[in-house]
Amino acid sequence: MLDLLAYDFMQRSLLAAAMVGGLCSVIGVFVVLRGLAFVGAGTSHAAFAGVTLGYLMGWPPLLLAIVFGLATVWITGWVEERGRMKLDVSIGILYTTTMALGILFIGLMKTYNAEVYGYLFGSVLSVTPDELQTIAALSILVLGLLLLFAKELYFIAFDQEMAEASGVPARQIFFLLLTLVALTVVVSLKTVGAILVFAMILIPASTAYQLTHSLAALTLYSATIGILTAVTGVLISALWDVPSGPAIVLLATTVFFISVFFSPKRVRRPRLAHSH
Amino acid sequence: MSDPREPIIRFDHASFGFPELIALKDISLDIYEGEFVGVIGPNGSGKTTLCRAVLGLLAPVEGHLHIFDCACDELRCHHRAKIGYLPQKGVVDRNFPVTVLETVMMGRYGALGLFKRPGRKDQNIALEALTQVGMESHKDNALGQLSGGQQQRVFIARALAQEPKVLILDEPTTGLDITAQHNVIELVQHLHDELKLTVLLITHDINMIRSQVDRLVLLKTRLFAAGPPGEVLKPEILHQVYGKDLVITEKDLVIVEDYHHHH
Repeated sequence: MLDLLAYDFMQRSLLAAAMVGGLCSVIGVFVVLRGLAFVGAGTSHAAFAGVTLGYLMGWPPLLLAIVFGLATVWITGWVEERGRMKLDVSIGILYTTTMALGILFIGLMKTYNAEVYGYLFGSVLSVTPDELQTIAALSILVLGLLLLFAKELYFIAFDQEMAEASGVPARQIFFLLLTLVALTVVVSLKTVGAILVFAMILIPASTAYQLTHSLAALTLYSATIGILTAVTGVLISALWDVPSGPAIVLLATTVFFISVFFSPKRVRRPRLAHSH
Repeated sequence: MSDPREPIIRFDHASFGFPELIALKDISLDIYEGEFVGVIGPNGSGKTTLCRAVLGLLAPVEGHLHIFDCACDELRCHHRAKIGYLPQKGVVDRNFPVTVLETVMMGRYGALGLFKRPGRKDQNIALEALTQVGMESHKDNALGQLSGGQQQRVFIARALAQEPKVLILDEPTTGLDITAQHNVIELVQHLHDELKLTVLLITHDINMIRSQVDRLVLLKTRLFAAGPPGEVLKPEILHQVYGKDLVITEKDLVIVEDYHHHH
């Protein structure tokens, strides 16, 4: 295994996995607490449609992924705010529409393009130095903004109306959160793929949720679980020659079920249903 | 109505809602510093709308609303921080990972503004607020593990951590057992006396608050009556609003009797 670590590509993959794992799991805390899980899924498929359009037209795929991702979250946020439609309905419609567009764009390509499928299923072992730089820059941007607005983000996740009433610019913070979710999805697209990025956002935070009653600890646990499962998943992938995305996600899922089983919350709640 | 004091909240022929669906119509009402005002009225009478308006979450579609001498649509975030708010009891996710102290600290966030982190001073204010509601020994407990009454106290502490001038409570006793209901009302009365807060308390439970408040405001889309409880709780006024016969007993308690039900 030590031989493996000597390779440049392996070092790059592990670094990319650690960054994406950390980023997804930290934003995941806010996604899980604010109830935006489905938004993450919808955004990743929209971003993939952007990638396919990029390859079809010869435009920069990541740029279009950002445009598609942002358009999706902003429309979703706007619709929710207006109260016109339930969030799961609007995101469901956008989710399937953008996926249809993605499939259409792939169909319109004259030749088979393996790189496009890399964005769908993830290919962390083929991350280039340039891509690593992009991942690092976007990760620093997103984590920096999360840190800067952490207290407001926690407050709107707990109770958005209460936050607004007590003088926090809650609407703007909500749209910031949606924007950061979209950016995170785009950062992670190449590494874990459109299908699995959502799991990277959801699972570590949900695992940590089982283990603590404190917001600060929740974030710390989630980040730790996210980074460790991503790095270990890449090592498993390289050692046993299995695809990296599924290796990371299945490992994270295993940790999740273990945490559910040993959750202190589970132990204290068996009779809750009868308490009233 | 000729009060020499300046009102801190002034509704001047204000209407709220949408032009096609008015929730509150033509409200004129002055609320003075240090008053304890109870807001009553049947379901859908606009009580919560009144509350949201004072919080600066709703601008009037007609007329004017002034809070702290500032037109409501110009209300800035730091003004809002001067109004502590206990929302109608929603469902608190019992597993939401937040401690009591973390919950109360949220009350500091609006006043702190963006980019500033809560420091020692904020923590002391939050701890003081917890002491005021008698929950300081629970500061490290998970919010979800507390009883309904205890959670209400923590949320009141969060409102107090804003160091507000006005405290608005939207049905604070709903869903609590009778002892917890009394305790919450007593606490509010105590905070009003001790901290000289202006209190707006919205409730269905007229009996519970009638002896505590300075004034009652009776709403049913319009302002039906505003004044000392004795003036507002008259059978003919209550009959108009609730559409039922209400009996005032010797002890001056109001009992709702549904005649259609009995006859």
